[in-house]
Amino acid sequence: MSSNGFFNFAEAQAQARRRTMVLVALFLLLTVTIAAAVGALGGLLLGGADDQLVQQQHATGPEASDRSLLERFDPATAVVVGLGVMGIILITAAVRGALLGGDGARVAQSMGGTEITHDTTNPAKRQLYNVVEEMAIAANLPMPRVFVIKHEQGINAFAAGNSPETAAIGMTHGALATLNRQELKGVVAHEFAHIANGDMRLNLRVMAMIFGLVALSVAGRMAMRTVFIGGGRRDQRVVMAAMAIGVALLVLGALGVLAGRLLQAAISRRREYLADATAVEFTREPEGLANALKKIGALQEAEHLNNAHGEEVRHMLFAEAVSRRSPGLMATHPPLVERIRALDPAFNPDDDPVWRKPQKEMMRERRRELRGDTA
Amino acid sequence: METVITLLIVLAVLIVPGVLLYNRLVRKRNAFKNAFAQIDVQLKRRHDLIPNLVETVQGYMAHERETLTAVIEARNNAEQVRQQTSGAAGDPASMEQLGKAEGSLGGVLGRLFALSEAYPDLKANENFRSLQEELTSTENRVAYARQAYNDAAMRYNNVVETVPSNIIAGMFNFARAGMLEFEDREAMQEPPKVQFS
Repeated sequence: MSSNGFFNFAEAQAQARRRTMVLVALFLLLTVTIAAAVGALGGLLLGGADDQLVQQQHATGPEASDRSLLERFDPATAVVVGLGVMGIILITAAVRGALLGGDGARVAQSMGGTEITHDTTNPAKRQLYNVVEEMAIAANLPMPRVFVIKHEQGINAFAAGNSPETAAIGMTHGALATLNRQELKGVVAHEFAHIANGDMRLNLRVMAMIFGLVALSVAGRMAMRTVFIGGGRRDQRVVMAAMAIGVALLVLGALGVLAGRLLQAAISRRREYLADATAVEFTREPEGLANALKKIGALQEAEHLNNAHGEEVRHMLFAEAVSRRSPGLMATHPPLVERIRALDPAFNPDDDPVWRKPQKEMMRERRRELRGDTA
Repeated sequence: METVITLLIVLAVLIVPGVLLYNRLVRKRNAFKNAFAQIDVQLKRRHDLIPNLVETVQGYMAHERETLTAVIEARNNAEQVRQQTSGAAGDPASMEQLGKAEGSLGGVLGRLFALSEAYPDLKANENFRSLQEELTSTENRVAYARQAYNDAAMRYNNVVETVPSNIIAGMFNFARAGMLEFEDREAMQEPPKVQFS
């Protein structure tokens, strides 16, 4: 961030992009490492087991078990098993991705959103629709469909859909009733930034990869079960090898899912900073976004989104929704104070007039704004 | 034979980059023309809203006839300029003319809205409020469309003026695009004051 007190969106964007790249690279490294580890284990156990089967048919000597582990290592089997594991992850991820993908409007509707169109006469909704159109021009993106989550009193918003053409933007009723025009514009610009930066697609891919790792655990459990059921008929060593690989798949898969979720949250936090920076590029005024974040901070309890679908769109929300007590490592959003400081370096929660304002006061001001009253 | 081959190679070396640069210029020119079309749409919207606004305001602000006339005049002038310049994207003289006309319209509109603060009945009028919102939105759209146009025009100008594309630009008459600035920028960026914090 620049030192002169101005918000330098280009610099902030470049930084967020670099850090995402590192995280995505780590994620790929994670899956490759898991595949390689299982592959190596497979080479060690399965390769040897095959040999032993052959040997035992000819001569049941003690020499078979005397061979050292390294000698039994079979590179071909290792490669086959490793590629198989990679295949399981990638194929499940691809299938999952295809199932998850698609229409933003459908996601918005599943969250209980009602669509608003250009002919709405309600002043607040009309204003929201106008603000979305303004930002579509600023972001040079097609006009998304616009939804309001009626029964949600917290201040929040989301963007859904995999491509700019199928995107939808949702805003909670609470946001519409509390934020003024400039702040709404900041929030809408933030959501447009997610669309412009392809964050929905990025997160979808990460989620699909995590699902692939879950599938690995499942495969491990299945392998163990098969061994238990058919175990009696087989050679003891083969059973042991299959068991070991099953356990390895189970454990590595589970560890991978955990690591994957941590990385997913870290990527999501980076993308939030990026979206904030991009939003300022669109509006050219950091105050609106900063004030919206301050209002959220002021009514922390308001940001709880009471919705079972929270998980799927959680990273796309404007502010942390599922649980604000979630540990820092799993949070999909950076701390509010940090986000505000990035936009307004002089911010101090203890004596900030917006942060200190009671919600009633905010809503009264908002009603006045919609009525056209001067304060 | 060899000279023919050499000649062909030299030609290819010159022509292929030339074609690429030419295409690049055309793409950039289309981009800023497209951005200008967006401004034109929004300016038309702005001008279409004003007669409605004056109609609504008239009954309440009978004493401000002068200002209302000035708004109508500025609007008509701006609309005329818009029609003249709508096909002339990037022409510096046209851009300047358009900027002046829209700038003075923004100025008188700002005055009208400042005066409206003194008429509580008017401000309570639902029609007036919705027109105010539409105008605010249109001003914002014009501002963002102008931002997009100026960015596109600058990218185009960079290609027109830098080596080696400036050679191709000179050969095929790719003129520098004019930026669109509104004279009364304060009034444009801070249009009818509707937000209070």
